[in-house]
Amino acid sequence: MGSSLASSAALLAALLVLPQVLGEFWAFQLALYFLYAVAALGIGICWGRAGFLPLGQGLFFGLSAYLSGFALLRFADSWWLLLLLPLAALASGLLAYAIGLLVFRGRTESGPYFALITLALSLFAFQVANTWNGMTGGYNGLKGIPGLPALDSFAATYYVAAVALAAAVGAVWWLVESPLGVLWRALAQNERRVGFFGHDTAQLKAIAFGASGILAGVAGALYAPQQGLVTPEVCGFVLSADLVIWTAVGGRGRILGPVVGAVAIGVLTAELRGRIGWWEIVVATIFIGVVLALPGGLMGLLPVRRQRSRGARAPVLLPAPPRQLAGGPVTLAIEDVSSIAGEVRILDGLSLAIQRPGIYCLIGPNGAGKTSTFNMLTGELPAQRGTVTLDGARVGVRTPHGMARRGVGRKFQIASVFPDLTLDDNLRIALWSGRASLRDLLRPALRRWDSALLAALRQRFTFLADGLRAAAALSHGERQVLELAMALIGEPRLLLLDEPSGGLSSEETQRVIQVIRWARQTLGLCVVIIEHDMAMVKELADHVFVLHQGRLLAEGDVQTVRADRRVHDIYVGASS
Amino acid sequence: MNVVYEVTTLVVIVLGLAIVFGFLGVMNLAHGEFIAIGAYTAYACQARGWPYLTAIPAACLVCGALALLVERVLIRPLYQRPFDTMLATWGLSLLLRKTVELVYGGGYKSLVVPLSGSVSVLGAPFPAYRVLLIVLSLAGTSVLVVWYRRSPTGARIKAMVGNPELAQAVGLRTGRLARNTFVVGTCLAGLAGVMVAPLTPVQPYMGLDYILKAFFVLVVGGLGSAVGLVSGAGLIGGVESAMSAIVDRTWGYSTVLLIAIVFLWLRPRGIFARV
Repeated sequence: MGSSLASSAALLAALLVLPQVLGEFWAFQLALYFLYAVAALGIGICWGRAGFLPLGQGLFFGLSAYLSGFALLRFADSWWLLLLLPLAALASGLLAYAIGLLVFRGRTESGPYFALITLALSLFAFQVANTWNGMTGGYNGLKGIPGLPALDSFAATYYVAAVALAAAVGAVWWLVESPLGVLWRALAQNERRVGFFGHDTAQLKAIAFGASGILAGVAGALYAPQQGLVTPEVCGFVLSADLVIWTAVGGRGRILGPVVGAVAIGVLTAELRGRIGWWEIVVATIFIGVVLALPGGLMGLLPVRRQRSRGARAPVLLPAPPRQLAGGPVTLAIEDVSSIAGEVRILDGLSLAIQRPGIYCLIGPNGAGKTSTFNMLTGELPAQRGTVTLDGARVGVRTPHGMARRGVGRKFQIASVFPDLTLDDNLRIALWSGRASLRDLLRPALRRWDSALLAALRQRFTFLADGLRAAAALSHGERQVLELAMALIGEPRLLLLDEPSGGLSSEETQRVIQVIRWARQTLGLCVVIIEHDMAMVKELADHVFVLHQGRLLAEGDVQTVRADRRVHDIYVGASS
Repeated sequence: MNVVYEVTTLVVIVLGLAIVFGFLGVMNLAHGEFIAIGAYTAYACQARGWPYLTAIPAACLVCGALALLVERVLIRPLYQRPFDTMLATWGLSLLLRKTVELVYGGGYKSLVVPLSGSVSVLGAPFPAYRVLLIVLSLAGTSVLVVWYRRSPTGARIKAMVGNPELAQAVGLRTGRLARNTFVVGTCLAGLAGVMVAPLTPVQPYMGLDYILKAFFVLVVGGLGSAVGLVSGAGLIGGVESAMSAIVDRTWGYSTVLLIAIVFLWLRPRGIFARV
């Protein structure tokens, strides 16, 4: 974190010297671009990190600009006016957070629909600002807004904007480097998976959107005194779209990208506007060119700075706090659960019970409902009938993150890890599961958490120790092991494994078997495995459930099930 | 009758967009500018004293040629990257808008209505050109829908949309098919521009109003069905003209926005989607 503070201090120093060199005209222009840059930083968070595109930031910029305009007009000379401006920014942030929570709740997609909702909202805000003459001054806007008290010169407003920008860059840096920033990047890659690690993804995305709302709000609150005029345009479509363009041109994936984009296009516009009539065509062409040729934006031309050179200074690890879960052996009872989608009965009166820890195998032919059982347990697949009881308490509404917090861990059939994150970050996401509160996620120290189990896993699978490697660079087998490790270090009480040995060599399979056994003994957990490899079932299973057509056909130890006539029939196909 | 007129023109305007978005997954934010270009083509034809009918092939030619170029340069490299397509076409819309402004200036142009006079509809007089538009729109849309359902090309498009890899594997030239689809969708935008040009002020920013309304129709109606499209246009166009008549235009527009927000939020797949 020291490096980020030093960088923003250096940036601030450079910014403070600038107006001496450039003169008053540029100081005024640059102050405006800096404010736009602050708002664009918020788009960088949402779009560059969390992976959803806000297309209507004008709403938050405009709301705060109007609020700040009212405050300045009414209480021009009072010192406590300075308290009202942060409140205006905060109002924008709260509105954004509330909208985010409403829209994201119950929908795990980051497609264009959210972008269109925000767009429509900003269009609506424009209509309100444009017609509500008594309040907003209608089409002509709020006029004659005084500057900030005691700061009534171009140079002074420049300094305010520069300080705001430096502070915003510092704050964004902090957020992006914090555990929250890691989770944002993770959910941009695989939102579903983040949910299965017990993180409330709707909440996380709403926080990102709220943060972007605050940044747009800060920019808007300072825009009113800087320009002295607030018109409906600040809410509208054009500013909203421009902010996105600047972010894209600068580079959404980098912290400074939006700043570079806003200032570069701003300066270019100011240079061209006076000289050639078709300057907007030039800007549009540049923009199209960047989208086509430089998906990473202008900042994408610069190489990424390596985080820390390897082995230079190993970070001090901190012990993670223990998970707070119910003690005693886990019990699970599924009773008469049915799930129907259209004409298909996916689960058809499924009942099974687990009374004590152990390794349970779930077998059955394709389409028997094995993976569907896991999906139903973790809240992916809705059930129309039946009950699930975990540790003696009936589980009503099931969501992936809710089940993960109750101690249900899961590994998918196709290894799903976060390819663009480092191994360390992948593992930490699992480690934070159920241990870190939302407030904790702002503490950078969490990225150095460690647990005894993680250390032991690193001993067993040495590739895990190379923590700065990107998960995308792993082989298929290593990815399977990584996901298994992630599922384990969340220290669940009930672990669901979907074909953990799929695609592994026989040697790797042996090691996976050993780890599962070792984890079951040291953690005392209950493991349910879907497996096709009968050799593995024979070696691991304490108890076998045979599923057929969405219901339990037979159960018992391996011998009992093997001897069962009906089990033979379904596998051989002589079910007449 | 005015409502019927609003709704039918909206259907034609949305049709091109629906084809491009529904079949290719391309959100063409520059669609409105193609409507504007169609309208300006009509203006150019009329200014030269040519009969109004010549505007139809002219608009198809201009929009078709532009669409070919745009598809090659912008759309094709960005398939499967919906956000980037949106951005690139947004940049394109800026580019086209400003170019039009550079060529024709920012002011309003008005055209002479080619078919003056009025006919009596259910006892009330109604401008003949509007009646003609309603008839043409309905006929054109039905022909297109029937053609899509019956013709081999329609089946090929369905195959391409359903499973592009398999379509390619069985020998369909999906690249060419996608290009033609894009060109047809864009030409429809140009034709819509020709149709509405005599009735609205023609100006460089006219595309923006149309594109937004068209997207809302798509949102409400859902993709992939003619019924959805017509009912979306019916709801949006109907509500807007009703609210505009009862209160004023701002209210009409705001109500449409609110309806769109509610649909995007709660029923992103449109009226007829199964939840």
